[in-house]
Amino acid sequence: MEYIIEVEGFKKHFRTVMTQRKVEAVKDVSFKVKPGEIFGFLGPNGAGKTTTMKAMMGLIRPTGGTIRILGGSPGQYAVMSRVGFLPEQPYFYDYLKPQELLHTFGRIFSIPRSVREKRIDELLRVVGLEDARNKTLRKFSKGMLQRIGIAQALINDPELIVLDEPLSGLDPIGRKEVIDLLASLKSQGKTVFFSSHILSDIERLCDRVVIIDKGFVKAEGTLEQLLGSGSGEKEILVGGLKDVASVELLAGVKSVEVVGSLVHRLVVENAQADEVLMSLLRAGLHIVSVSDQRISLESLFISQSGGGPAMEATI
Amino acid sequence: MSGSFGGSFNRIGAIAINTFTEASRNRAFIGLGIAAIALVVSSMAISGLAVSDQRARVLVDFGLFAVSLLLVVISITMGVILVFKEVDRKTFYVVLTKPIRRAEVLAGKLLGLLSVLVVTLFLMGLAWVLVLVIRDVALPADLFKALILTWLQAALVTSLALLFSTFASPILSGVFTFGVFIVGTMIPVLQDLLTLRKGPLAASPAMRFLAEGTIKVVPDMTVFNVSKELILGIPVTWHYVSGAFFYCLGWSALFFALAVLIFSRRDFN
Repeated sequence: MEYIIEVEGFKKHFRTVMTQRKVEAVKDVSFKVKPGEIFGFLGPNGAGKTTTMKAMMGLIRPTGGTIRILGGSPGQYAVMSRVGFLPEQPYFYDYLKPQELLHTFGRIFSIPRSVREKRIDELLRVVGLEDARNKTLRKFSKGMLQRIGIAQALINDPELIVLDEPLSGLDPIGRKEVIDLLASLKSQGKTVFFSSHILSDIERLCDRVVIIDKGFVKAEGTLEQLLGSGSGEKEILVGGLKDVASVELLAGVKSVEVVGSLVHRLVVENAQADEVLMSLLRAGLHIVSVSDQRISLESLFISQSGGGPAMEATI
Repeated sequence: MSGSFGGSFNRIGAIAINTFTEASRNRAFIGLGIAAIALVVSSMAISGLAVSDQRARVLVDFGLFAVSLLLVVISITMGVILVFKEVDRKTFYVVLTKPIRRAEVLAGKLLGLLSVLVVTLFLMGLAWVLVLVIRDVALPADLFKALILTWLQAALVTSLALLFSTFASPILSGVFTFGVFIVGTMIPVLQDLLTLRKGPLAASPAMRFLAEGTIKVVPDMTVFNVSKELILGIPVTWHYVSGAFFYCLGWSALFFALAVLIFSRRDFN
């Protein structure tokens, strides 16, 4: 199978309850996800991300366009048995304990009890809820609910995992654990499709991203394609610099700023980068790193969603 | 994922067990159950108000009335939130994205609530029998059959409440379900009025048309009420009970099919 997810010209219109006014939640969204990818789905609030993900999961029907998941239609038995889904701000049966919830979903997948028991123990360990076995879900914090949400999405050992804002509500340690978990799922050959507002995590994790806004796709591709290989500038981190004024006068140096107690960050035009580096070395300074200056995903995101200019310096 | 009968049984069973667990851990339901048993027991006090030769009759009549009423109240109050609550709290987002048909979800919810009604009926029936034994009243021969008929009535009301809960709010669903139930208890009265040559139905063709239509689209709830037979000692045959079972099954299947039709087309925004 060439693509795990194929969304082609997806549209979704709603009518308001009171006035029956037509609302175009998604106007034209197309993208494709390959097997084994971690695919990021980006967009500001109201862009149509959750609507698109609900259509992918068969919760709503498209007004127009087609959606193919694992070669089939959303909601089909054969498709949904190979998919794990975590909705945004998930709600669960709060009178159940975590293992009871997972048993309920395990039964839906017709997983034999002995297999279920082992899988539940493993999942509770993986999401860090082993100590919460005897608590009902109504006593869970938001972060704990997010963790049990991820566990239920993995109960059937799915090929495709679709997660709507999986990092929301988690503390920094929880976020790191989930990021590690997503990376380990990728290493197991699984395809992960997730939306997030935490762009640094998307940048760190995703092979490819699609950015949507106001119901349209604004950009799609690998991070390399979207952010470019460079902006025509290099970033040089240098240690031991005391005479900042003389460095600022060197040809090609666009800016110098302090980024730590001992390190300065220089932005230099590519054409003059070699000469600047030689001058710094001759002055006996310590070169910490040299890298291409790329626009950040955040800058791209802001520019694509009409929030400002795209070309901003990255750190 | 198994699309076989066994797989379907597992999926319906998972939802049914969950629905039963929810009710058994719901304080409001437990309170309602205790109130139901208390009402049955209170028939002892009410029978004390009756003249001595009527006490046994009151105990039988009021006891069956209490069991029937409270079972219907539980059916309506729990039935109208069966679907609405899951949509409102978005718990369906996780369930419906699993490999399960929407019809299987509804079947599981319905079976779960019917199981709750079986347990409630057992406890209320037990309380009723204890009251009769304590008051030294001979147990009616067809008490067990009367209790089965009461449960069938509650099952029919539950399927009706489930239908309304697929598209209306709990309050509206409750009003609709209770309204149909009340009209259903008056079907024989409407039938009698239609046979009269005088009266409102004879005078107005529009009213007559409305009454005839009502008889066709509303189930007759009096089919399940055998209190008169119990008191007068008229036998309630198994043939009658099986007829009532199929009557309940037919209407419930119709309401369930309509619920599935509506629920399957629904978007979960």
